[in-house]
Amino acid sequence: MTSAAAVAASELRFEDLVREHERMVFSIAYRFLQNPASAEEVAQDVFLELFRALSKLESRAHVVFWLRRVACHRSIDYARRHKNAAAEVSWDEMPEPSHRDPHAHSASDPMLAKRLRQVIAALPEKMRLVVILRYQEDAGLEEIAQTMRIPLNTVKSTLHRAHAILREKIGAAIGEANV
Amino acid sequence: MSDRLERELKKALQRVEPPAGFAERVLARAAREEAKSAQPRAWFRWFGMSGLRWAVACALCLALAGSAVLYRHQRQEKGEQAKEQVMLALQITSSKLRIASESVQQISGPEQPVRSEEP
Amino acid sequence: MKRIGAIVALVLAVQLAAFAQDWDPGGTLKKLSARASNTVDVTLDQSMLQFAGGFLNSKDPDEAQAKNIISKLKGLYVHSFQFDKPGQYTEQDVAAIQNYLKGPDWIRIVDVRSKSEGQNVQVYFKKEGQQFKGLVVLATQPTQLTFVDLVGPITPEDLRALGGQFGIPKVEVHPNPAGKKGESK
Repeated sequence: MTSAAAVAASELRFEDLVREHERMVFSIAYRFLQNPASAEEVAQDVFLELFRALSKLESRAHVVFWLRRVACHRSIDYARRHKNAAAEVSWDEMPEPSHRDPHAHSASDPMLAKRLRQVIAALPEKMRLVVILRYQEDAGLEEIAQTMRIPLNTVKSTLHRAHAILREKIGAAIGEANV
Repeated sequence: MSDRLERELKKALQRVEPPAGFAERVLARAAREEAKSAQPRAWFRWFGMSGLRWAVACALCLALAGSAVLYRHQRQEKGEQAKEQVMLALQITSSKLRIASESVQQISGPEQPVRSEEP
Repeated sequence: MKRIGAIVALVLAVQLAAFAQDWDPGGTLKKLSARASNTVDVTLDQSMLQFAGGFLNSKDPDEAQAKNIISKLKGLYVHSFQFDKPGQYTEQDVAAIQNYLKGPDWIRIVDVRSKSEGQNVQVYFKKEGQQFKGLVVLATQPTQLTFVDLVGPITPEDLRALGGQFGIPKVEVHPNPAGKKGESK
């Protein structure tokens, strides 16, 4: 294969991967940073890294794992670099990007969903990511541990603490909404 | 952990669509990066003093173009936010009307006794 | 003469703007906002609605329906307040809002209490002669109060369209002779 053909082949693959995984990468960044502009910046950087690292990735499953890991770490890096800017955002003003996944069920109480997202946004960084990976990405505990490069027991205890916080903050609303 | 809370978390944390044109912007950046790394350095040799004037002119053009792009980007962002506000407002309205509609249907069903409240 | 015409036009414009502006009956919404732990405030006048409409995708069924509805509106205002515990708003607060909806222009078309949902919902139409000029929805539950104000010629047909979309599944409730309730999705 000539170098031009090799480049063409890898570019085609890259475009496919961008379109296939843009929701996943953007969503991880958005749920973590709670700002669409910041999430786009992080998500673009993640895909640019993928573009540079593509030849080292072995399979589509490896790409997914790699993208999640890089998205998580870049989101944390971004939040730490822009700590002051992030603190000034008013969550009440943040519109929720539309999502129309035909296989998903919408929350019947938009206020409850919004409240949950706000509580999650206020969790400590690593706890927030564990919750996002668990409930948005449906990742198993072992997978979360590998993605975040933390011990499995740490994932378990972090998730346990997150549940306690969420129950405390949201438990009454869920009981009353009867959704 | 309650199943209920788990269900609500999954609903609340559904994946979201990136802003329109996201993939195109990523691909454009990748293409620029690819072009930049492939660019020959030979053009530096003939970049004399006249080149400096050209560089200034190009920088000004880029700044103007950048401002236009920024304006378009900001307008796009504002538009997307306004759109999301509309959808949120209609979603809230819809959820309340649905509750009213269901209650009215339950009350007015032929097999049900006439009541002013749901049992 | 020209000056009088300009003044008349200005007065009319101010009146129209006032009608289509965000409305806080008795200042109650501001008081509720101060007590709420979480609020949703959507304030979209006609120009913002038109601007937003340009970004709605006609190929998406929900967005196309939204585009159709907001094209008729002069204003869309939603205020939803979440409270930490029951009792943080009172019946007087609710009555203060309802008092503004008792005028001859307002027709209450729905007033239901849903114990299964734990919500009371009232729906009002504003009429001028034979024309519909607006819609208000007031929904209350122990820790949440929602006030929706749609300004513009929204009709009962639009209301039916609103009741089943935007991510909220339409539920067909069938009367059951056994007394078992239909379940919401």
